[in-house]
Amino acid sequence: MMNVLNAVLSKIFEIIFIPFQNINPWYGMIVISLLTGILMLYVFKLTSDQEGIKKAKNKIKAHLLEMRLYKNDLITSFKAQGNILVSNFKYMRHSVKPLLVMIIPILLIIIHSNFWFAYDPLDINEKALLKIKLSEEYTPSNFDIKIIGNDFVNIETPPVRIDDEHEIAWRFSALKQGVHEIEIQAGEKSLTKSVSIGQRPLSKISPLKKRKSIMNELLYPVEKPLDKNSPVKSIEISYPTSGLRIFGMNIHWIISFFILSIIFGFSLKGLFGVEI
Amino acid sequence: MKKKYVLFILLPLCLLIIPVSLRAYIGPGAGFAFLSSFLVFFLTFLLAIFSLLSWPFRFFFRLIRGRKSYKKSSVDQVVIVGLDGMEPTLVEKYLEEGKLPNLSKLKTSGTYKRLGTTIPAISPVAWSSFMTGCHPAKHNIFDFLSRNPSTYLPDLSSAQISNPKKFLSLGKYKIPLSKPVIKGLRKSIPFWKTLGQNGIFSTILRIPITFPPEKFYGHLISGMCAPDLKGSQGTFSFYSSEKTDVDEGGMVIPVDVKNGQIETYISGPQNSLHKNEEEIHLPMKILINKSNDSVAIKTSGKTFHLKKNELSDWIKITFKPGLGMKIRAICRFYVSEISPKFKMYMTPLNIDPEKPSLPISHPFIYSVYLAKLLGPYNTLGEADDTWALNEGVIDEDTFLKLCYDNHKESEDMLFNAMKKTRRGVIACWFQVTDSIQHMFFRYLDKKHPALKHARSEKSEKVIEDLYTKMDDLVGRVIEKLNKNSCLIVMSDHGFKQFKRGVNINSWLYKNGFLSLKKGKNTSGEWFKDVDWERTKAYGLGLGGIYINVKGREEKGIVDPGREYTALKSELKTKLESLRDEKENQNAIRTIYDRDKIPSGPYKDNCPDLIVGYHNGYRVSWDSVTGKVDSHTFQDNIKAWSGDHCIDPEIVPGVLFCNRKIGQKKASIVDIAPTVLKLFGIKPPAHMDGTSLL
Repeated sequence: MMNVLNAVLSKIFEIIFIPFQNINPWYGMIVISLLTGILMLYVFKLTSDQEGIKKAKNKIKAHLLEMRLYKNDLITSFKAQGNILVSNFKYMRHSVKPLLVMIIPILLIIIHSNFWFAYDPLDINEKALLKIKLSEEYTPSNFDIKIIGNDFVNIETPPVRIDDEHEIAWRFSALKQGVHEIEIQAGEKSLTKSVSIGQRPLSKISPLKKRKSIMNELLYPVEKPLDKNSPVKSIEISYPTSGLRIFGMNIHWIISFFILSIIFGFSLKGLFGVEI
Repeated sequence: MKKKYVLFILLPLCLLIIPVSLRAYIGPGAGFAFLSSFLVFFLTFLLAIFSLLSWPFRFFFRLIRGRKSYKKSSVDQVVIVGLDGMEPTLVEKYLEEGKLPNLSKLKTSGTYKRLGTTIPAISPVAWSSFMTGCHPAKHNIFDFLSRNPSTYLPDLSSAQISNPKKFLSLGKYKIPLSKPVIKGLRKSIPFWKTLGQNGIFSTILRIPITFPPEKFYGHLISGMCAPDLKGSQGTFSFYSSEKTDVDEGGMVIPVDVKNGQIETYISGPQNSLHKNEEEIHLPMKILINKSNDSVAIKTSGKTFHLKKNELSDWIKITFKPGLGMKIRAICRFYVSEISPKFKMYMTPLNIDPEKPSLPISHPFIYSVYLAKLLGPYNTLGEADDTWALNEGVIDEDTFLKLCYDNHKESEDMLFNAMKKTRRGVIACWFQVTDSIQHMFFRYLDKKHPALKHARSEKSEKVIEDLYTKMDDLVGRVIEKLNKNSCLIVMSDHGFKQFKRGVNINSWLYKNGFLSLKKGKNTSGEWFKDVDWERTKAYGLGLGGIYINVKGREEKGIVDPGREYTALKSELKTKLESLRDEKENQNAIRTIYDRDKIPSGPYKDNCPDLIVGYHNGYRVSWDSVTGKVDSHTFQDNIKAWSGDHCIDPEIVPGVLFCNRKIGQKKASIVDIAPTVLKLFGIKPPAHMDGTSLL
């Protein structure tokens, strides 16, 4: 079931981002934030007590006006402030249900968006680490593992085995543009890990591949998971983290997403007739 | 079911604790709530800080001013409950029968008196005298209508609303470059303005003739004479698939039912942005569901459902005249028939108090504040739609529901004001007593001609219920009073039966004082066929007779000197002996000559003569609007069966007070000086009344 969900969602994201892959990632960010804003407005409308929210908001506004109208009466003014806080709690209470419902789609959107916006692909000749984590019952120094030779990465170091961490790491440099599969021979098992080199400004990058479990499939949906019984727990490539540049600053994509989706939500609430 | 609910809550919570670096973000929904709430907290915190920091300064300012303000005051709070048209004979009867326990307590521990009214005894006149302490010649309100001497046509006496004078022409649009003129015509100074000048705060709720609102130290929401969105005093709409007519107060919008649907419109205000100023129409679709006797109404981007014989809540609608402008209104709907004929009533378009298109309160935000705190409320001056019942487009139960719903809104405003105005004046006007008595008074007189003709589904119990409900209101007000409060419960005039209508214009015509154009023996509305060059006198409004004076009226023929005086005298003599042969009694008790009643700077706008009818009579419906025919007397067969536009001597109001008031005869002009006196303020010299204390 997770496979199906991941496949569907991956496809949807790919389709959404097709027009924006060769241009500044901001365009893709704007589109996904807009769609998220609209979706959340719709969910909010369906799941919230719109009348209750409206009443609570009206009460807040009324008591704010009351403070202005009775500014010369300290007692009425303070009572109005108290009432604002009470109405604000009521307002927050009305937001709990839609908030809980929204967490699920929002989490899925964030998980998938993360693979598009959080990392930069490797440049040609850029160096990176490939790390493999083994199960606790295996000791890296005794474990038979090697990377199968290829023409898209150059393995620069022999494996560094850290027994305490159950980890084996290689440094490699990128050679050939494209999305490739690095083959790893771990004991009798043959494993693969995708590597993205010199891709378009907006491309899907999977830094981590983990063993099969519901949670791992949910959180790392881009690549097929490792076998449940595999001695390898995870394979990771240390991609450089990405950011969206604006006014010379590098902003984490989640911040941009947060701000933009809220701006779109607020701007479109009138159009969709949603009381927020 | 429970398990599902737990899962529903737990699953998202589990997702929240997943160790993803992005878990801090939980979506725009949370963002909306978080941002808004944070903003509210932040704003409240800022305001609290500001209140605290500025409090010492304001405290000292108020201390200095307040000392002066309340130094001579014998009360902290004065609460005035204005029950329009409460009739003393009925109050006294119900008091005797023990049906008004709260008013009885007031009478015993304080005062009860009959309260003299104004000449004429009409609400806008009387309430203007209430607030200014002056007779009408000083406040310039003599009726609902005044006449334009240049055209002989009526104008609204209380306010003048005119379009902006400067425009920029742009295609089909004319963009206003100046503000529309909204001018109040009531003169003199209301007592709350004098109180404010002395640092005493007032909350004035729906008192008549307060549109447009004037600036003063306090809050005000306009009452009677505040217009609807069409600029009228209340125009209802009646949607009917059957050919129907209404005489006054509304418009019929014919509809066709096709495939269970009706495509129609809401008739809005004139589009002053358009050069041709056509009426704005808001499309409305009505989907009929015969199986459960209900309709779905789609308009202004929303859909609401309404069952047959059910009055809707206030529905907000928006008219878009163009250029991105919006005009907002609120209205209610009532479907009386669905099949085979469709009939639906819509109240007049009330100005939306939350986003008012005209100023209806002082300060401007006060109406917004009340709407946000208490919900939408009627803003039309006369919201109890007596015309709709008169014209038979709603039944008596619906009318009563409408009235009491409107009344409840006013009550809520009063109690909110009492809670927040701990020092100063709170005055609130209630229309329900006037409207219900107008429409149900016939039930108190078995011989009333309207009992045979108008709908008669109720009994005299309606009036008794009304009085006991008002008594209950007084009881609840007493409970909320401060220790050192003065409560005044009053009415502006009383009520009597209106059984026979007198067409003054027909009488003037028959007696040679009014002439019609050659070949005519009747005239349509507003003196359509009157020959002004041969007319000496004409009647307009609810009791006024005007002399066609040379140099004053456009086509005046009566010399302003001796001829004028002699004509008035002749009319007075003849009218006071006007006999209703059918009832074998005189119809008119007194004719008041404007030169013999209290004078003032606006005397010239007063009718030359004011007719004081006997009990049972009133000016006829046709005469009010300047119609002339062959009948002087007509039975009044409309549901509007009680009235007070008669001799003021026989329709005094009532006055209750929780304080002892001297033996002096009380008049409505005495209320303003009394309130000033309670706060230790000497009444200004222009006031005609004197303190009752």
